[in-house]
Parts: sequence; structure tokens; C-alpha cells
Amino acid sequence: MAKTDPIIGRYVYVPYAGKEYRTYYEENGQGIPLVCLHTAGTDGREYRHQLCDTDITKNFRVIAFDLPRHGKSIPPQNFYKEEEEYALTSKFYSEFIMAFCEALDLKKPVIMGSSMGGNICLPLALNYENDLTALIAIEACDHSPGWWIDPLHHPHIHGGEVCATAVFGLMAPQSPEEYRWETWWYYAQGGPGIFKGDLHFYSVDHDFRDLCRKISGRVPIVMMTGVYDFACTPEMTQQTADKIRNAEVVIMKGIGHFPMCENPEVFKKYLMPVLDRLVEYDRDRRPAASVEYRQSREEAPTRGASKRW
Amino acid sequence: MTRYSTLTELDTDWIVSWAKKVNEDKVLRVIGKFFTANFVIGVDDKDFYIKVRNGKIEMVADELNANMMGWQFALRAPASSWNKFVEPVPPPMYNDIWAMAHPLHGKLKIEGDTKVFWQNLRALTWMLAKMRPS
Repeated sequence: MAKTDPIIGRYVYVPYAGKEYRTYYEENGQGIPLVCLHTAGTDGREYRHQLCDTDITKNFRVIAFDLPRHGKSIPPQNFYKEEEEYALTSKFYSEFIMAFCEALDLKKPVIMGSSMGGNICLPLALNYENDLTALIAIEACDHSPGWWIDPLHHPHIHGGEVCATAVFGLMAPQSPEEYRWETWWYYAQGGPGIFKGDLHFYSVDHDFRDLCRKISGRVPIVMMTGVYDFACTPEMTQQTADKIRNAEVVIMKGIGHFPMCENPEVFKKYLMPVLDRLVEYDRDRRPAASVEYRQSREEAPTRGASKRW
Repeated sequence: MTRYSTLTELDTDWIVSWAKKVNEDKVLRVIGKFFTANFVIGVDDKDFYIKVRNGKIEMVADELNANMMGWQFALRAPASSWNKFVEPVPPPMYNDIWAMAHPLHGKLKIEGDTKVFWQNLRALTWMLAKMRPS
């Protein structure tokens, strides 16, 4: 038999606000639930490398789902009769993430999201701290203006090509061509108006500049940003983290706005220390998690006391 | 190490040699099949006029030629910005036209009929990447 990926794809019917959303997700691994949020206008395929990485999946149940209207998750019924343009809001996005976690009966998951999936980590930290173990906010900040623009959804402009090319420069020139163009391809496959509609959340509805200080800091939040991200620069991430109690910042060199899919090897170097610490942080509350891992960790040197969690 | 010290002379010879590279490119024949427009590359106060037909540069000029009958869009930036853009490995915020033009950064201005710019963004981005050493 030829090589296969270990990823399993399924559909779950997520109840939310009186509707049922047939939602596609992929998963692999066991242990701490690690729910991965894709970027605007695309889908969970962005996490295919992490879903297949045994260094991650031996301790984490990695789950990547497609938001409604993205990837294999169909839009709500009657979408063709909607009288307003699709525009993602912080309320729908954050509540749907939690509804998805509930539908899968996930207990205190770790949420890891990039771009809009990173930005939503801030409302999640504020409103759901008792339901989450930790947040990994990739390419995230409290305010990311300038992207809710009409050229991304215009009948005279090829939506697939313009959305994909508009984000191409967000990736680092050092990232492998193969993966950069794969990411371009994902973007070229988005539904009409979906990327722009997501960017309504990203650039308009998400404004946490005055709310960051209200986050309690009880849930660990790690903010990871690549130096080639021109939508959310390292400075924007740092300025945001400075306002959030106990937030940590990891600046990633030689990578851009899509770390998990534009350069999974470089991303892994930055991600694994965070995940290792999360396993350590979480292990007392997860006796059912990988026994083999727990044994190996007990032999590992004690971590420095300088870390906050 | 990224090379920042050697500035490219962004003159007419540079534009002509870039146009030659563009016209030798075989991918542009596919993705630029419908890219037909006149546009301006502005370097400091100097404008270069580029006439593109079906993904090929038919003419470059350093002054507006009557035969061009105007232009649709212009990409104007200081030489310091263009010099970073054309580096073999451009630094962050200078590796892409939209990155430089994004309101957060303002390193380059897109002027004129910007719809034509967005319509041809894929081929244009590929074309401008030919400014870098291959």
C-alpha cells in the first residue's frame, strides 16, 4: 500500500444559535485537545504538517476544523438569500469555536490559531478563561487594520487569484517555494467574498486595544509572530502583549504570517518548546494523557523557574 | 547575510534589462495571457512607462510617449524602497508591492485606476519579482 497520512477527517453537526452547522474537521493524535484555527478565507489544511507530526500528536489530540463557509464546511442554509454581505464578527467566531469544542466534548482544550485565529484568542482569553487550558496566538495583535477592502470581492476581479496573491507577500522569501505556493493554492480556493468577510472581523470588528488589560492572565497565552508579517508586525504583537497580564511573546525569524504551512520546519523549532511546557503544565490534570510521555518527562531536567507557568 | 549596501542604479538601463527578463519568462505567457495595460513605475521623481500586451512588455519609456495614450495605474516609491524590494532576499515589509503599499507601512503608493492593478495582481507580482537577481 502506498504512503498515507494518519489524519482522519469527519463531519460534526455543531448546534449554534438555533441552527445546526455541518462542520468538517480533521484530527490525529491523543492527549490534550489542541484545536487549531485556520486563517481568514481558507481552511484547516493549513495544519496538515502539525496533524502528521508524531512529536506533537503523541501528546496532543490535534484537531483542525473548517469554519462554516470554509473548506468542506458548507454555508448555512439559505445563504444565497442573505440580504447582507458576509461579515464575520467576534461574537459569532468566538462562540462558534466554543460550540465546536462542546460538540466534540473537548475538556479544557488548548486553542492555537493564526492571523484571525490568533486575534480571536484575545476574546477567548477574556470570555472563556475557565473553559480553556491555554492559548497560542500566532500572528496576533489587538488591532489589525487595512484589510477589509473591496478588491478582494469584486465581480471584475478574479477572487481566487487576487486573494491568494494579496497574501503571498505575507510569507517570508526564505520559506520553501513549495509550501508558499501550496498556501497560495488554499487561498485561491476560498468561496466568493469569504476572505473579505473574514477580514471584517480581522480589521474592523476585532479591536481589543482597550480590552487587553481586562484579560486576567490566568490562562497562559503565548503570542508567536514572524518577522515577515506585514499585517501584524512583531512590534504590533509586542505592544499587544505588553498590555496583557502574563502574556509571552515569541518572535520567529525567517518566517511570515502563515508559520504552520509556509515553513512547518522553522515553525516547529519555535512551537515545540511551547508545547513541551504545556504538557508539563497540564499533566497533573490529565492523568489519562500519554503515559509513555509522562514517564519520559519525569526523567527530563526540571524547567527554569523564570517561566510564568 | 542580506546585502543592503550595494544599491541598484534604478535607471533606464535597469528598466530595459528587467523588461528583457520579463519577456523571456515562460510562465508569464500563461498567467499574463490577459494582462494588457499601461502602467508607471515611479522611482523618486522619475517615471518609467511600461506598455504590457498579453503579459509581454512591448515598450518601456522614460517619458510619456504619445503612442501610449496614457496609463492605468502607477506604482510610485522612493529609490530607497525600490532598492530594498529588488534585493535578492528583500527585508521584511519590502518583499512585496502590497506589503509596501499597505496603509500600515506606506512605503509605496498605488495611484490611478487601482482596479486594473488588482485585476492583474498575479501576473504583475510575478513580473516585478523579475527585478531581483535570478
